[in-house]
Amino acid sequence: MAKKSVLVSYAGLPSFLLSSNWDQFKQTLLAQLPLRNIHWKSASRTSIRTIQELDVSLVPLDSIRDELTSQVPTSILEKPLLNLYIVTCENADLEAYRTTIKKQVKEWHATVSNRKNQEWMILHVVRPDAKTPSGTFFQLKGSVLDKLKADFNTDKRDRCMQLIWTTNPSMWGEFITKLKDGMLVAFEAAVAQREEEVKRSESQRQMPGWNFCTFFILKESLASSFEGVTLSDEALLQYDELEASFYQALKEKNLSWFGTLISPTSKDDSSPLLSISKKPYRDLILANTITVFDFRIYLLTRQCELLAQSGRTTEVCKKTSAFLGAFGRRLREVEKDLPRFFLQSWIYSSALSVVEQCDSWTSGLSDVQLAVLNAGKGELLELARNQLDLIGMNLGFLPQKPPFSNVWVPISTETKSTAKISNPQLLKALDSQDAFYEVYINTTNHAIDLYAKAGRRKFALKLHGSLAALDLHRGQLDVALTTYNSLPAHYAPHMWTSLESSMLQRALETHAALGKPKDREWIHILLSFLSTYASSSGADMLMKEDEKIAYISGLIDALKVSASELESDLPHPDHPAISTQVSSSATLAETRDGMYLDATVYNSLPCSLPIDEISVILTGRDSERQRFSIAVESLNPGTSQIRMFSPVSNAGTFLLESSEIRMSRLLFHWTHRRTSTPKVSRAGRTSGVLVRIPRDLQAFDVQLRQPPRVQFGQSPSMIVAVSTGRNEVSKAILKLSTSSVTFDCQDTSLHTDGSAEVEFTPDSIILSNLPRNHVVELLVPHSDVSVFNAMKVPIEVEYVTTAEISMTRVLRLSRIISTALPISVNVEDFFRGKQLFSKFTVSTLSHQHVRIASAVLEPPRIDDNKVRVVTSCSQKRSTATVTPSQPANFLFQIKSDGPVRDPLTLNIKYRMLREEVEFVIDMAIDEVLDTHPEWHAHRTQLHAKLIEMLESDASWVEIYSISGELDVPGSIVAPGELHEPIEKTKKILQSHQHPRSPQGPWHEISIPVDVPSMTSTYLYAGQPISALLSIHTTFHWGSHADDKQRQYSIQYDVEEMVKEWLVSGKKRGSFSAMDDTTFTVPITLVALHHGEFTLPRVVVSALPLQNELTMGSMSIPSTETYQVHGAEKVLILPRGGRSTFVLGMGST
Amino acid sequence: MPPGLRVNAVAFISAQNHPIIVRTFSAQDETTIKYHYIAHTSLDVIEERVNAAGGKSTDCYLGLLYAMEDVAVYGYITPLKVKIVLALALSDSVVRDVEINMIFKALHMAYYSSISNPFLTHNDDSVDGSRTLTVGSTKWKNFRRRIDEIARVVGNPTSTSIGGG
Repeated sequence: MAKKSVLVSYAGLPSFLLSSNWDQFKQTLLAQLPLRNIHWKSASRTSIRTIQELDVSLVPLDSIRDELTSQVPTSILEKPLLNLYIVTCENADLEAYRTTIKKQVKEWHATVSNRKNQEWMILHVVRPDAKTPSGTFFQLKGSVLDKLKADFNTDKRDRCMQLIWTTNPSMWGEFITKLKDGMLVAFEAAVAQREEEVKRSESQRQMPGWNFCTFFILKESLASSFEGVTLSDEALLQYDELEASFYQALKEKNLSWFGTLISPTSKDDSSPLLSISKKPYRDLILANTITVFDFRIYLLTRQCELLAQSGRTTEVCKKTSAFLGAFGRRLREVEKDLPRFFLQSWIYSSALSVVEQCDSWTSGLSDVQLAVLNAGKGELLELARNQLDLIGMNLGFLPQKPPFSNVWVPISTETKSTAKISNPQLLKALDSQDAFYEVYINTTNHAIDLYAKAGRRKFALKLHGSLAALDLHRGQLDVALTTYNSLPAHYAPHMWTSLESSMLQRALETHAALGKPKDREWIHILLSFLSTYASSSGADMLMKEDEKIAYISGLIDALKVSASELESDLPHPDHPAISTQVSSSATLAETRDGMYLDATVYNSLPCSLPIDEISVILTGRDSERQRFSIAVESLNPGTSQIRMFSPVSNAGTFLLESSEIRMSRLLFHWTHRRTSTPKVSRAGRTSGVLVRIPRDLQAFDVQLRQPPRVQFGQSPSMIVAVSTGRNEVSKAILKLSTSSVTFDCQDTSLHTDGSAEVEFTPDSIILSNLPRNHVVELLVPHSDVSVFNAMKVPIEVEYVTTAEISMTRVLRLSRIISTALPISVNVEDFFRGKQLFSKFTVSTLSHQHVRIASAVLEPPRIDDNKVRVVTSCSQKRSTATVTPSQPANFLFQIKSDGPVRDPLTLNIKYRMLREEVEFVIDMAIDEVLDTHPEWHAHRTQLHAKLIEMLESDASWVEIYSISGELDVPGSIVAPGELHEPIEKTKKILQSHQHPRSPQGPWHEISIPVDVPSMTSTYLYAGQPISALLSIHTTFHWGSHADDKQRQYSIQYDVEEMVKEWLVSGKKRGSFSAMDDTTFTVPITLVALHHGEFTLPRVVVSALPLQNELTMGSMSIPSTETYQVHGAEKVLILPRGGRSTFVLGMGST
Repeated sequence: MPPGLRVNAVAFISAQNHPIIVRTFSAQDETTIKYHYIAHTSLDVIEERVNAAGGKSTDCYLGLLYAMEDVAVYGYITPLKVKIVLALALSDSVVRDVEINMIFKALHMAYYSSISNPFLTHNDDSVDGSRTLTVGSTKWKNFRRRIDEIARVVGNPTSTSIGGG
């Protein structure tokens, strides 16, 4: 194609040109080339175009002939842009100039200056070693250069210059600049002229006789000119304009300048697309015989070459693949005239050749560009692959269905042409199926590889899918299945359900074709498929509606079969095909134990689903669980209402935990409880569904309570009350278990009278044949729980009613029983001689009123010493009430003959006010029911209602405790049928009086009471201790011998250690001491608290002598004191109660 | 609007790359999946384009994404990152970007007016995986009608101009 250099002609004196000097000079000149960084500022272009590097060819002027012979416009670079004349005489040698040189130059100038669009330049070469005349300044005649300038350089442009001939590049700088300038001026002029011509030609477009091909060649010459000076972008612009111009012609349907659309030659389909040497394209264009096919290829190739030259290889792929697609489509119009598969072969070969071509063009691309290029190449390869799809389907090597048929266009099999395609690869593939598959797989893998490099994951996935389809078709089912199983996961995250479901569907088909057993794996695939179906409501399944239903129901049937063949349960979580909604409250069954829960189940599959059971699980407090279920044959498509039953009932508010649908071994499972992740928690999303379950008062029930008699010091027990409610229970197995307490079921005894059939085993209690409305109370001993205030006892009861003998109901309850007593008892003892007075103070530990019927102190059963107890309470005294602010005191006088070793027992009969009132109400209700037996059914409700009414207002308490009148506050409006019984009961309660002797059940508490004994060994805090303070004095070490007869006045002081001791008595005083005498004084000590501490200190000091004065002051006898028990400590034991003492402060 | 522009399929894809709707206009039923593939693979190219622009580009129109055998695939991304993919029948004539952009603008408008319906929620950003409303939902009936109308007008430009949705 166009030479990448510009021509510069040279001329000179023939003698010089023949000399070796010229050769030397030429070499030096060429060494300065190529030209670099030429900035072309064109008048018609907005910005400066920069030519990085330009080669210059030096040709002798004679070799250039005026080639106006050819009418074909060629590149403007065909002619020299600059003509050079080289003068080589001494600068001062004006003689030589005048005689020979001037004439020669004049001749040359005449030739050259007439040439259009060419510049000229005269170069005066001066040898550096030439003698420079010293007196040039005085040579008025001037130099040769001046002469040259004067003679030829008439206009402003400086076209004459002098060059000192050295190899030093700096000397050449000016010359090079002048060279560039000259060339650019010529180039600009030439381009301008050519552009003018093109414009003129284009404007004549509509005129008759205008020829597109001529125009093309003319405009192309411009392009090749630009290309010649490496302005690829400018050149490309020309071709792009030509392309647009061609489309314009195409649009006008005026292609008369071309030959046929295509006249295929034997190699057309397999020769590389981007090669302009494969045909004499330009000649064909000039001859107006070029086919559109060839013309388009020529145009494309030129464009691609230029793109590659300007480093835009990535666009080549895009351009060619668009071209192959678009032009291939046009060629299809004439497919009949082409050899069989010509079109496919052409696209295939072309695409592959372009990929190769791009590889050869590619160098120095960045990663990003490389990715884009790879993507482009991938697209080309996919295009090639698509041709294989077409050929394959046509030959029957591939099935005519998706994904192969995605590119389906009918290929006319009848062609007039007998010629064959020439691509050897394809020819081989046409003959042999295996060869075809090999080509197919290789091409696809190559494309996948390129897509992967380009980061186009989704394209690669698509091709993987097609490979799997090929495997499927070829019967390589295992491979296909593996691929199909792995692909859906890639489509799932973005919810491309259509593609995901298509992949799954194929996987299912493959599985079926493999004849593999429909095992767990198959079920998983199927369930995923159904879930894609459900999540898109089947819209993305790309199948006809009726086919769809038949297809799905077929699958469902198969699912049912294989589900029943499973060996173990297969849980499947959160399948979207079915959704369940439960109503917000359960309803009681009324006629039997249990309740119903309504639910709406939505099946989004188009066919009914054969299932066994639907169930939901609700959770309450303390992981209480309530399971509702219903056996269902099948679940119809759309919404179905179901009513699930739970045989037992726990009242309260429950959270919908999970729901399950069982199909033989297959278990669909949905967890409704949201595990709230703080990140995504939004209002209303995390909260679960609440279900309220009403209390069934007629149901089988188990209650726990404290036994009526609590004995301290013995193993505790509790009462388990089993009430049958409406049921006739044939058998009930009761189990109590809690981690902290052990129950001794085996030692259980019946608390109430009655002939219940009870059996006790170590861990359960079995009751049999209980009639309805019956309560069995069992006394269950258990381990010590005194560390707790209350204990929580989970109870599990299995019971079978006679009405439904086949159903075993399992009731799980959690009951709380208070182990703490509501009252506390304190004792104070007073010893008065042989009598002991014990005062017991009973106070309530809660805020509730406690009624106390009696408090009796009983002497020990085995009584050796005839303990007699006299109580202060009169027999007449009726029930006492203990309120938080007012405890009750009970005083007993105890007499005994000797020491009392065995404890006495204090028995207190008490009950809470509430219990008493409830009893009163029960009595009243019984009374009412006696007269109106028809209200018997309302008994429990009536009771509950009245309690509720009492709870609402506490105003009745005061009147009740005084008189016994129970004025039920009537603020609550009772429901209709209860209204009358309540009114009646209220009336009875209003007339209620406290009975003379307490009625109803009482709690009894037995407290063992030790009789305190008085012994000297133990000192109790708060107890007064009599003590003797003895002070022994000795004068043994006195200074005078007669001291022994003397008397000194001594003062003592018992130091009060206010934290430990109270001291009563004469704790400070004075006495007169004599030698070896002891002074004794009694005091009483009271320890203030328990612990171990020293006795009070005693300070002893002598008083001053009354009569003796020493040195004018009173003399004090010296004394030393030590305390015999000073280092001893006494142990004070703790004692309850409070003691008040009046202390004598003593006197001095 | 030149003749010969034939819309084969239109796909709307959410910002999270979930398909919103894939609407095909070809006669053959079994080619539908092809356009699902096209919509899906286009995401790769759209991503390339958006990344190449470095997120600075304010132009919604992404131009020709790729040409595949007989379709030319064009892309468009709304400011809220909803992608619109248009599959045109490939023809051997110049297709001007301005025209394609116009079709996209109309499609965008159609989508915009459809989601303006407060009763139509397509739970696009649902965290719990609740399902996106897809083609199957009746709530998108109007939207589909608008798309169909645009496709019809593009194929037959003489009747009316494209409405704003």
